[in-house]
Order: sequence, then structure tokens, then C-alpha cells
Amino acid sequence: MKILVVDDFSTMRRIIKNLLRDLGFTNTQEADDGNTALPLLQAGSFDFLVTDWNMPGMQGIDLLKAVRADAKLKTMPVLMVTAESKREQIIEAAQAGVNGYIVKPFTAATLNEKLQKIFDRIDG
Amino acid sequence: MMTLSNKEQLSKTINQTRDLLAHLENNEIEDAQEMIDSLATSGDDDLFIEIGKLTRNLHEALTNFQMDSRITDLAASEIPDAKERLNYVIEKTEEAANKTMDKVESCTQRSNTMAKDSEELLVEWKKLYNRELEPGDFRKLCNKIETHLQKNKNDADDLHGELTEVLMAQDYQDLTGQVIRQVITLVHDVEESMVHIIKMFGSMDGYNKAKGEVLIREGVEGPVVNAEVRNDVVQGQDEVDDLLSSLGF
Repeated sequence: MKILVVDDFSTMRRIIKNLLRDLGFTNTQEADDGNTALPLLQAGSFDFLVTDWNMPGMQGIDLLKAVRADAKLKTMPVLMVTAESKREQIIEAAQAGVNGYIVKPFTAATLNEKLQKIFDRIDG
Repeated sequence: MMTLSNKEQLSKTINQTRDLLAHLENNEIEDAQEMIDSLATSGDDDLFIEIGKLTRNLHEALTNFQMDSRITDLAASEIPDAKERLNYVIEKTEEAANKTMDKVESCTQRSNTMAKDSEELLVEWKKLYNRELEPGDFRKLCNKIETHLQKNKNDADDLHGELTEVLMAQDYQDLTGQVIRQVITLVHDVEESMVHIIKMFGSMDGYNKAKGEVLIREGVEGPVVNAEVRNDVVQGQDEVDDLLSSLGF
């Protein structure tokens, strides 16, 4: 399982990568916004996307929409990890086809739970 | 009371002034002197009122001038300085976060190794209990246990050292807290200056009305610091989950 972690803050990318590693996902790569993430995703071989919403350049919601609009990427599971907490934003992300939504600050247990839920759905 | 704003009084004064000018131009000094005396006595009230007005204008002009220089200071040096201070906060917090994560990663690695070594040792220890150990292996096991205990002691010392460094990395809170407090004071000063300007040139009604409203930003806004007074945001992960499940997630 190869995971791309997208966040403009390197510390947050590092936290998520550490938590993912503890959960057994050691194959991760990083990008700092949608503009750098999309070419990496299109170049292939990623199975999962974890992205922030509020980033300079291309925002997470636009990255999600771009992924869903891309024939090769559209089925990729996307987990949003963000401080954006307006109801209308969560609804927008849901309508854009997000698979999970975590609001910051979050815990390791929450990340684990949401990942598990997404995998269960894919398997089931 | 007679004032210059009184129309009748105003035209009277204009006429008197014209007469005075005519006397002066015609070199009729005595007549001019008489006019000045009568103007001076009859206009006592007006004069004082005018002086009062001038004094007030002067006072306001001085106050404005002081405020202008305050605003100049704020714009020219204090706000750029505040930006630098806030950048310092970003640097310090990032530094502390990375330092802490360096140490945590190192501790995690160490604890993983400790667990793995102990597990291997336990397998052999159980063999000893089950009398499955070859006679020659007993000595090897003893050596391994001694090495393991010695390594554990060293690792525990190292862990302690790394945890102390994690502790020390938290000094950013004190340093950044002080800087942020200074910036809060500055923001307060800017607020006061702006209220002053509104009082003089704008509408206090509009200000008071806007003051009571809860600020809601359009689009992305980052962490919400006043979630408890807002009803357009979720209060935490549970509410996100509830909202998503209501949408069929």
C-alpha cells in the first residue's frame, strides 16, 4: 500500500507519516500542495491519498475533485485531514467524493479508525 | 448672546468692518479708533466664543497630529516588526516540533529494538524451562542475557537523555508566548487608533452594530477558535461523523 500525504506544513506531514508507519504503512511519500501532488498521483503507483484542505497553490478540495475527474485516479480512496470545520465544507467534500474526513486536532486512534473504515468498505 | 453665526449680527459686523476699512483708507484715524473701540466692546461675547472655538480646533488639530504620528509609527515600524515577531513564532514552533519528533522517532526505534531483543530472548528462556536447551546452549543464553541487560541499562539512560531533550524543546512555549503577548498589545493599540478615527470621521453606530456580530469568514479559514459561539461549524470529530452519516456515509 503506497500512500501520498499532502499538507503544506512539514511537521503535519511528518506526524501523519509517523502515525501511518506505526499502523504498518511504511511506503509513504509527501507533497506540499495539490499542484505538486497531482503529477505524482498521475505518474501512478499510489493506492491512497491523505490530504489537507487549506494549502497555498491548489487546495485539497480541488485536488480531490481533480482526482475524481481523472479516469485513472477516480477510484482512489481519499482521506481529508484538515482544520476546516464548517458544515458546508464537510458537505462539499462529501459531495466531491471524499472517503473520510478528519478534523484537526486529531488523535492516532481517530486516524486508525477512519483508515480501517475506508479499507473495510473497499474490501466489502 | 450675540454670535457671528447670527445672520443679523454677521452682516452688521461686515458693515462695521467695511466702515473701519474706509476710515483707515481715508486716513480718518480718530473715526477708525472710535470704530475699533465700539467693535471691541460690543463684540466681547463673540470674541470669546470665537477664541473658544479656535482653542477647541487647535486642540483637536494637535490630538489628530499626535494620532497621525502614532499611526505612522504603527505602519512604518511596529507592524513590520510584529510580522518579524510572528515569523519568529513560526520558526520556533516548527523547530520545537521537529526537534521533538526527531527524539520521538529515535525513542520509537530504540523501543522497537528493545522489544524485538526481549522477544528473541524469551523464546530461548522458555526453551530452558521446557528443558529443550542443549547443554552447551545454556552458557550462550547466560551471555545473551548479560548483554541484553547491559544494553537495556544503556538504552534506558539514552532514553532518559532523549526525553530530557523533548522536555527542553518545550521552552518554545515560553519564548513564543512572550512574543505573541507583545503582538496582542500592538493589535490592541491599532484597534484603539482605528476606533479613534471612526469616532472622528465615521459612524459609531455602525461600529457598535458591527462589534456585536460574530465574524464568519468566507471559504477556507483554518482552525476555528470560537467554535462554541458559531453554529456553522462542527465542534469536533463526533459531529463530523454524525454529519457524514446523515449524508449516508
